[in-house]
Amino acid sequence: MTAWNIRPIASALWRNRTGALLVAFQIAIALAVLVNAVYVVKQRVDKINRPNGMDVQNMFVVASAGFAEDFDYDASWREDLATIRGLPGVTAATLISNIPLSGGGSSSGFQAQPGEFNPETSVPANTFEVDEQGVAALGIRLSAGRPFEAHEILAPTDTYGSAPQAIITKPIAKAMFPPNGDALGKTFYDGLNKPITVIGVIENMHGSWVGWDKLDHVMLFPRIKSGPNAVYMVRTEPGRRDALMRTVEERLGNSHPDRLLRWVRPLTYFEHQSYLDDRNMAIFLVSVTSALLAITALGIFGLATFNVSTRIRQIGTRRAVGARRMDIVRHFLVENWMVTTAGVVAGCGMALGIGYWLSVEYELPRLDLYYLVGGVFGIWLIGLFAALQPARRASAISPAVATRTV
Amino acid sequence: MLGYYFKLALRNLNRNPGLTTLMIGAVALGIAVCVMTLTMYRAMSGNPIWWKNDVLYAVTLDAWDPKEPANEDRPELPPWQLTYRDAMALIESDIPKHKIIMHKAIGVVAVDGLRVKPERALTRVTTSDFFAIFDVPFKYGGGWAPRADEGPEPVAVLSKKMNDKVFGGENSVGRQIRWNDREFRVVGVLDHWLPLPIFYDVNNGSLEEPEDVFIPFGWNVALELQSAGNTNGWKPEEIETYQDFINSEDIWIQMWVELPDATARQRFQAFIDNYVIAQKKSGRFQRPLNNRLTPVDQWLIDNEVVGNDDRVLVGLAFAFLAVCLLNTVGLLLAKFLNNAPITGIRRALGASRRQVFMQHLVEVSVISSIGAVAGLALGGLMLMGLRALYTVDPTDGGGTQALAHVDFTSVATALLLALFATVAAGLYPAWRIGRIPPAIYLKAQ
Repeated sequence: MTAWNIRPIASALWRNRTGALLVAFQIAIALAVLVNAVYVVKQRVDKINRPNGMDVQNMFVVASAGFAEDFDYDASWREDLATIRGLPGVTAATLISNIPLSGGGSSSGFQAQPGEFNPETSVPANTFEVDEQGVAALGIRLSAGRPFEAHEILAPTDTYGSAPQAIITKPIAKAMFPPNGDALGKTFYDGLNKPITVIGVIENMHGSWVGWDKLDHVMLFPRIKSGPNAVYMVRTEPGRRDALMRTVEERLGNSHPDRLLRWVRPLTYFEHQSYLDDRNMAIFLVSVTSALLAITALGIFGLATFNVSTRIRQIGTRRAVGARRMDIVRHFLVENWMVTTAGVVAGCGMALGIGYWLSVEYELPRLDLYYLVGGVFGIWLIGLFAALQPARRASAISPAVATRTV
Repeated sequence: MLGYYFKLALRNLNRNPGLTTLMIGAVALGIAVCVMTLTMYRAMSGNPIWWKNDVLYAVTLDAWDPKEPANEDRPELPPWQLTYRDAMALIESDIPKHKIIMHKAIGVVAVDGLRVKPERALTRVTTSDFFAIFDVPFKYGGGWAPRADEGPEPVAVLSKKMNDKVFGGENSVGRQIRWNDREFRVVGVLDHWLPLPIFYDVNNGSLEEPEDVFIPFGWNVALELQSAGNTNGWKPEEIETYQDFINSEDIWIQMWVELPDATARQRFQAFIDNYVIAQKKSGRFQRPLNNRLTPVDQWLIDNEVVGNDDRVLVGLAFAFLAVCLLNTVGLLLAKFLNNAPITGIRRALGASRRQVFMQHLVEVSVISSIGAVAGLALGGLMLMGLRALYTVDPTDGGGTQALAHVDFTSVATALLLALFATVAAGLYPAWRIGRIPPAIYLKAQ
C-alpha cells in the first residue's frame, strides 16, 4: 500500500498546517451552512407548494367601497354580480366575506355537542360567507353533499355570524365527528349554541392564514357579505382571467358615482404576498449558500495552488527519481482530500449543532441525516474539482527543474 | 515611512493580480452580504423611536377568556389590544404626559371640484396626542385640540403623500375634503414620516406605511366605525347594534402613554391595576391580574416583529463573513510567503521585525479598504435586487420602501465591522512573515 503514501503526505501537510487548517475551518462552516440551508429551503418549498384546493390560477377578486351616505348596497351588489356573471368566460362569481390566502379573515370555535361552550374541546374554523355560486367560484371539490342553493342564502348581518347550514372541509369533519368524519346531514353547534347542519364536505381548501397550523379548517356559510364594502370572487375559464379583469374594471369602475372600485386583483397576488417571506427566504438562502460554496472552492483552489508553487523543486526531484505524473496528481488530490475530510468531520458536528438550534427555534423536525450524508459527498466532490487543476499543473512540472538550481 | 509602505503595498498588488483580485473579491462579497443583511434586519426590527424608549409605553390589560390565554404560545402576555370600554376608561387618567387610544379604519377621500376620482385612504382614528406622543413632524399646520375628540369636530390631518396626491403638495390647511362622503377641514399636513417597523400598530405587518388620513377618535360612535386592523373576541356574545359592539369584550383599540419618570410609571400602573380590580367585582377580568406597560423595544419582541427568519439571516451573514475572512487569511499568507525571498533581503539589509510587520499591515489595510468600497457598491446592488424580491405590486408602496434607502447607521456598522475584522485577520500573516529567518532566502540567491 505504499502507492498511496498516506503517511508522508500527512506529515508534509502537518509541517505546513496553517493554511490547511484555515481551509478546513472554511469547509466546516460551509458544510454546516449548506446542510441546514438545503433543509430549510426544502421545508419552505414544500410549504409553498401545498395544494390549496382552489383553482387559484383562474380566479380574481374585486373590491368595491360604497362611501356615499345614501349608498344602496343591496342594489349595488345585485347589479355588480349580474354584470360580472353575464360576461362571457366567467364560470362563476360570488360575494365573499374574506379572501382566502390573503392573511385577513375571521375564525370561531364550534362544537359537536350542545351545552356550555368549552374553548378547549371546541374545533376552530376559518369561516367565510358566500352565496349560491360560492363553491363553483372557489373551484373547490365537494367529496360529499351539495353546494348552497339560491333560496338558502341569508341577508347580510353584522352580528356574530353562523348560519343554520354550512359546508365544511374534511379536517373539520374528522375533528368534529371522529373517527371517520362522516359529517353529511349531521348537526354541530356554534359558540351561542345555535345548531348548524352540514350540507356539504369539501375535499380540501385553504383558508386565510398560510402560517396557521389549521389552515385547512374552512367553513362556508350561505350569507351575503355585509356592506357597504363588497368583495367579489370571480372564477374564469382557463386563460381568460387577465382579459376579464380588465373588462370588469372598466364596467364596474364607472357604473356608480357613489362607490369606489378599490381594486381588481388576481388571487395569485394574495397567494404570492402570503408566501413572500417563505419564497424570499428560500431565494436568499440558495444565493448566499451558493456564494459560500464558491468562496470555499476558491479557498481550496488557492491552498492547492500555493502548495504546488512552493514545492516546485521537490516535485521536480520526485519526478526525476521516477515518480510518474499520475503519482504527483494523486499526491495533491490525497493531500487535498485529507484537508477536506478534516473540515467535513468538524463540519458534521457544527451542522448537527445548528440543526438542533433551528429545530428548537422553528419547532421543525430534527435535521434529517440524509442531508448530512449528501452534504458530505457534495463537499468532497467540490474539493476534488477545486484541487484538480493545480494538481494537474503540478504533474506537468518537468523533472529538469530539479537539476536547475542545484 | 508609512507613505513608503503604502507605495510598496500598491506595487505589491500588481505582483500577483489573480491572488489580489481573489482577496479583494472575498472581502467585498463578505462585506456586501453583511451590509445587505444588517440593513434588512434593521428595517424589520430596529426601534424607530429609540429616543423615547424609557418614557413611551403600550398599555395592555388581561381581559381575555378565563379558560385560556390570548396567545397560547406566550401565555404570560395579555392580549395585544384593548376593548373600547376599557380604552375609554383608561384615557380619563391625568397621570400620563401624553396618552392616546386609536385604531385603523378604511376611508375614501374626495375633494369637491378638484378631482373626480376619489382616493382610497387608510385612516387612523385617534385622540389628539398622537402627533405629540410619537414626535410626528408637520409640514403645514398641526394636530387638533383635545376638545375636537369629544364633539367630534370634522377636522383631519393628511399625510404628505395624500396631500401631494390630492392637493399637489400645496399648503392645504383650511381646505375641505370629503372623508367617506362627509365634510372634514384639513388642519395639518405631515412631513415625510416613515417609522420602521411601524411599531404603534403591528396588527397587519410591520413594514407598512403610516396611514394617509388622521381623524378624531370621537367619530367612531358618530359614524359607527369599525377596525380595518384586527378585531378579536373570545366571548360568544349577541352583537346586534354598534352599541353592543363597543360594550362587548372584543379587542380592537391600541393605547399608548408617555410617562416621564418612574413615579409617573408606578402611579399609572397602580391606576390601571385598581381599574381592573374594580372591574373584577362586576364579573369581568376573571384572569390573574396581568396589566402591562411595555416599552417599544420589548413591544416589538413580544409581537414577534423580530422574526426567527431575521435572526437566521444575521447568523448566516456572519458565517459568510467568517468564511470570507478565513479565505482572506489563507490567501494573504500565501501571498506574503510567495514574497518571502524579498522580505528575507529586507531583513538582511536591516529592516526590523516590527518594520516588516508594519509594512505588511499597511498592505492588508489597502486590500481591505479596496474590498470595503467594492463591497459597499455590491451591497447596494444586492439591496436593489432584494427590493425587487419584496415588491408584490409595483404601484403599491408598503414594505419595499423600507429597503429603498440604504440606512446610514447599518452601513457604517457593517463597514466598520468588516474593515476591523479584515485588518484583524491580516495580523497573523503579517506577524508570521516577520518571523521568517532571513538566512534561508539569502542562501538560495
